[in-house]
Amino acid sequence: MKIFYFAKIKEIIGKNEDIINIDKQMTVGDIVKMLKLIDESYELAFKDLKNIKCSINCNYINSFQTKVKNNDEIAFFPPVTGG
Amino acid sequence: MKIIFQTKKLNIEEVLKSFSSQNSSSGAVISFLGKVRPSRNKKKIKSMDIEIYEKMALYQTKLAIKNLLKKFNIHDYFIMHRYGNLKPGENIIFLIVASEHRKEGFQFIQEILFYFKKKITFWKKENYIQSSKWLDSQN
Repeated sequence: MKIFYFAKIKEIIGKNEDIINIDKQMTVGDIVKMLKLIDESYELAFKDLKNIKCSINCNYINSFQTKVKNNDEIAFFPPVTGG
Repeated sequence: MKIIFQTKKLNIEEVLKSFSSQNSSSGAVISFLGKVRPSRNKKKIKSMDIEIYEKMALYQTKLAIKNLLKKFNIHDYFIMHRYGNLKPGENIIFLIVASEHRKEGFQFIQEILFYFKKKITFWKKENYIQSSKWLDSQN
Protein backbone atom coordinates (compact mmCIF):
# COMPACT_ATOMS: atom_id res chain seq x y z
CA MET A 1 0.00 0.00 0.00
CA LYS A 2 1.30 3.41 -0.96
CA ILE A 3 0.81 6.18 1.57
CA PHE A 4 1.48 9.77 0.50
CA TYR A 5 1.97 12.82 2.71
CA PHE A 6 1.63 16.45 1.63
CA ALA A 7 2.38 19.97 2.85
CA LYS A 8 2.88 20.36 6.61
CA ILE A 9 2.45 16.63 7.28
CA LYS A 10 5.19 15.83 4.76
CA GLU A 11 7.47 18.42 6.36
CA ILE A 12 6.97 17.04 9.87
CA ILE A 13 7.55 13.42 8.82
CA GLY A 14 10.44 14.37 6.57
CA LYS A 15 9.35 12.32 3.56
CA ASN A 16 6.51 12.20 1.09
CA GLU A 17 5.78 8.51 0.85
CA ASP A 18 5.74 5.20 2.69
CA ILE A 19 5.00 1.74 1.39
CA ILE A 20 3.50 -0.78 3.80
CA ASN A 21 1.95 -4.20 3.39
CA ILE A 22 -1.26 -5.29 5.05
CA ASP A 23 -2.60 -8.81 4.69
CA LYS A 24 -6.22 -8.02 5.57
CA GLN A 25 -8.61 -5.07 5.31
CA MET A 26 -7.96 -2.41 7.93
CA THR A 27 -9.49 0.95 8.76
CA VAL A 28 -7.66 4.18 8.00
CA GLY A 29 -7.64 4.75 11.77
CA ASP A 30 -5.75 1.45 12.22
CA ILE A 31 -3.20 2.57 9.60
CA VAL A 32 -2.72 5.87 11.46
CA LYS A 33 -2.17 3.96 14.73
CA MET A 34 0.49 1.83 13.00
CA LEU A 35 2.20 4.88 11.52
CA LYS A 36 2.30 6.68 14.88
CA LEU A 37 4.39 3.80 16.23
CA ILE A 38 7.18 4.43 13.69
CA ASP A 39 8.68 7.41 15.49
CA GLU A 40 7.99 10.75 17.19
CA SER A 41 7.67 12.66 13.92
CA TYR A 42 4.70 10.50 12.86
CA GLU A 43 3.22 10.85 16.35
CA LEU A 44 3.47 14.63 15.97
CA ALA A 45 2.18 14.70 12.38
CA PHE A 46 -0.94 12.72 13.30
CA LYS A 47 -1.54 14.36 16.68
CA ASP A 48 -4.50 16.47 15.59
CA LEU A 49 -6.63 14.28 13.34
CA LYS A 50 -9.36 16.93 13.13
CA ASN A 51 -7.12 18.94 10.83
CA ILE A 52 -6.07 16.05 8.63
CA LYS A 53 -7.86 15.09 5.44
CA CYS A 54 -7.50 11.66 3.91
CA SER A 55 -8.13 10.25 0.47
CA ILE A 56 -8.28 6.71 -0.83
CA ASN A 57 -7.52 6.38 -4.55
CA CYS A 58 -8.04 10.16 -4.97
CA ASN A 59 -11.49 10.16 -3.31
CA TYR A 60 -12.02 12.01 -0.03
CA ILE A 61 -13.16 9.87 2.88
CA ASN A 62 -15.52 11.13 5.57
CA SER A 63 -14.45 8.82 8.36
CA PHE A 64 -11.22 7.26 9.57
CA GLN A 65 -13.32 4.10 10.03
CA THR A 66 -13.26 3.64 6.23
CA LYS A 67 -11.63 0.34 5.27
CA VAL A 68 -8.61 0.04 3.01
CA LYS A 69 -7.01 -2.82 1.10
CA ASN A 70 -3.36 -3.47 0.34
CA ASN A 71 -3.60 -2.19 -3.26
CA ASP A 72 -5.18 1.14 -2.27
CA GLU A 73 -3.36 4.47 -2.49
CA ILE A 74 -3.87 6.57 0.63
CA ALA A 75 -2.92 10.20 1.15
CA PHE A 76 -2.89 12.34 4.27
CA PHE A 77 -2.85 16.13 4.02
CA PRO A 78 -4.09 19.37 5.61
CA PRO A 79 -7.19 21.14 4.21
CA VAL A 80 -6.38 22.44 0.73
CA THR A 81 -5.49 26.08 0.07
CA GLY A 82 -5.37 26.38 -3.72
CA GLY A 83 -6.84 28.96 -6.03
CA MET B 1 -11.74 22.32 -22.65
CA LYS B 2 -8.39 22.23 -20.98
CA ILE B 3 -6.98 21.65 -17.48
CA ILE B 4 -3.29 22.41 -17.00
CA PHE B 5 -1.17 22.18 -13.85
CA GLN B 6 2.35 23.41 -14.47
CA THR B 7 5.41 25.04 -12.90
CA LYS B 8 6.23 27.37 -15.78
CA LYS B 9 4.70 30.79 -16.44
CA LEU B 10 1.88 31.05 -18.92
CA ASN B 11 1.46 33.59 -21.68
CA ILE B 12 -2.02 34.63 -20.61
CA GLU B 13 -2.55 37.17 -23.40
CA GLU B 14 -1.85 34.55 -26.04
CA VAL B 15 -4.08 31.94 -24.36
CA LEU B 16 -6.95 34.42 -23.94
CA LYS B 17 -6.67 35.57 -27.54
CA SER B 18 -6.69 32.05 -28.91
CA PHE B 19 -9.48 30.92 -26.55
CA SER B 20 -11.61 33.88 -27.58
CA SER B 21 -11.12 33.25 -31.31
CA GLN B 22 -11.91 29.53 -30.86
CA ASN B 23 -15.19 30.54 -29.21
CA SER B 24 -16.26 33.29 -31.55
CA SER B 25 -19.92 32.29 -31.35
CA SER B 26 -20.08 32.64 -27.52
CA GLY B 27 -21.71 35.78 -26.18
CA ALA B 28 -19.40 35.95 -23.16
CA VAL B 29 -15.75 35.09 -22.55
CA ILE B 30 -14.85 35.68 -18.89
CA SER B 31 -11.43 35.27 -17.29
CA PHE B 32 -10.04 35.33 -13.76
CA LEU B 33 -6.39 35.71 -12.78
CA GLY B 34 -5.21 34.96 -9.23
CA LYS B 35 -1.76 36.29 -8.25
CA VAL B 36 0.81 36.03 -5.45
CA ARG B 37 0.39 39.01 -3.11
CA PRO B 38 3.38 41.13 -2.07
CA SER B 39 2.52 41.03 1.67
CA ARG B 40 0.24 39.60 4.33
CA ASN B 41 -0.53 41.40 7.60
CA LYS B 42 2.28 43.86 6.80
CA LYS B 43 4.77 40.97 6.42
CA LYS B 44 6.64 41.05 3.14
CA ILE B 45 6.22 37.88 1.10
CA LYS B 46 9.51 36.79 -0.46
CA SER B 47 8.01 33.89 -2.40
CA MET B 48 5.29 31.27 -2.32
CA ASP B 49 5.71 27.51 -2.55
CA ILE B 50 2.72 25.69 -4.01
CA GLU B 51 2.53 21.96 -3.57
CA ILE B 52 0.27 19.65 -5.55
CA TYR B 53 -1.02 16.08 -5.33
CA GLU B 54 -1.31 16.05 -9.08
CA LYS B 55 -3.16 12.80 -9.67
CA MET B 56 -5.88 13.73 -7.18
CA ALA B 57 -6.00 17.38 -8.26
CA LEU B 58 -6.72 16.32 -11.83
CA TYR B 59 -9.29 13.74 -10.73
CA GLN B 60 -11.07 16.20 -8.40
CA THR B 61 -11.04 18.98 -11.01
CA LYS B 62 -12.63 16.69 -13.60
CA LEU B 63 -15.22 15.66 -11.01
CA ALA B 64 -15.99 19.32 -10.22
CA ILE B 65 -16.31 20.19 -13.91
CA LYS B 66 -18.63 17.24 -14.48
CA ASN B 67 -20.92 18.53 -11.71
CA LEU B 68 -20.75 22.14 -12.90
CA LEU B 69 -21.54 21.27 -16.51
CA LYS B 70 -24.81 19.76 -15.28
CA LYS B 71 -25.70 23.13 -13.71
CA PHE B 72 -24.41 25.62 -16.26
CA ASN B 73 -24.55 25.78 -20.02
CA ILE B 74 -20.88 26.36 -20.74
CA HIS B 75 -19.38 26.27 -24.25
CA ASP B 76 -15.72 25.94 -23.31
CA TYR B 77 -13.31 26.40 -20.39
CA PHE B 78 -9.58 26.74 -19.70
CA ILE B 79 -8.15 26.06 -16.25
CA MET B 80 -4.50 26.60 -15.35
CA HIS B 81 -3.02 26.36 -11.83
CA ARG B 82 0.68 26.65 -11.16
CA TYR B 83 2.81 24.91 -8.57
CA GLY B 84 6.43 25.20 -7.43
CA ASN B 85 8.13 28.40 -6.24
CA LEU B 86 6.44 31.65 -7.30
CA LYS B 87 7.36 35.28 -6.66
CA PRO B 88 4.99 38.12 -5.69
CA GLY B 89 3.08 39.37 -8.72
CA GLU B 90 3.30 36.05 -10.54
CA ASN B 91 0.13 34.33 -11.70
CA ILE B 92 -1.14 31.38 -9.65
CA ILE B 93 -4.39 30.53 -11.34
CA PHE B 94 -5.91 31.50 -14.67
CA LEU B 95 -9.47 30.59 -15.60
CA ILE B 96 -11.39 31.34 -18.77
CA VAL B 97 -14.92 30.36 -19.59
CA ALA B 98 -17.05 30.83 -22.70
CA SER B 99 -20.82 30.85 -22.44
CA GLU B 100 -23.89 32.18 -24.18
CA HIS B 101 -24.54 34.78 -21.45
CA ARG B 102 -22.31 36.37 -18.83
CA LYS B 103 -24.26 35.21 -15.76
CA GLU B 104 -23.51 31.51 -16.08
CA GLY B 105 -19.88 32.25 -16.98
CA PHE B 106 -19.37 34.29 -13.79
CA GLN B 107 -21.12 31.60 -11.72
CA PHE B 108 -18.99 28.86 -13.27
CA ILE B 109 -15.80 30.74 -12.39
CA GLN B 110 -16.98 31.40 -8.82
CA GLU B 111 -17.77 27.75 -8.31
CA ILE B 112 -14.51 26.49 -9.80
CA LEU B 113 -12.66 28.80 -7.40
CA PHE B 114 -14.73 27.39 -4.54
CA TYR B 115 -13.57 23.88 -5.49
CA PHE B 116 -9.94 25.06 -5.52
CA LYS B 117 -10.44 26.40 -1.98
CA LYS B 118 -12.17 23.25 -0.71
CA LYS B 119 -11.38 20.11 -2.69
CA ILE B 120 -8.61 20.37 -5.25
CA THR B 121 -5.30 19.28 -3.77
CA PHE B 122 -3.00 22.29 -3.79
CA TRP B 123 -1.31 23.79 -0.72
CA LYS B 124 0.35 27.19 -0.42
CA LYS B 125 3.26 28.16 1.82
CA GLU B 126 4.28 31.79 2.11
CA ASN B 127 7.96 32.50 2.65
CA TYR B 128 8.68 35.74 4.54
CA ILE B 129 12.07 37.33 5.24
CA GLN B 130 12.77 35.21 8.33
CA SER B 131 10.05 32.59 8.43
CA SER B 132 7.56 30.54 6.43
CA LYS B 133 3.94 29.61 6.97
CA TRP B 134 1.57 27.10 5.38
CA LEU B 135 -1.67 28.93 4.74
CA ASP B 136 -4.81 27.85 6.58
CA SER B 137 -7.87 26.98 4.56
CA GLN B 138 -9.64 30.20 5.64
CA ASN B 139 -6.88 32.48 4.23
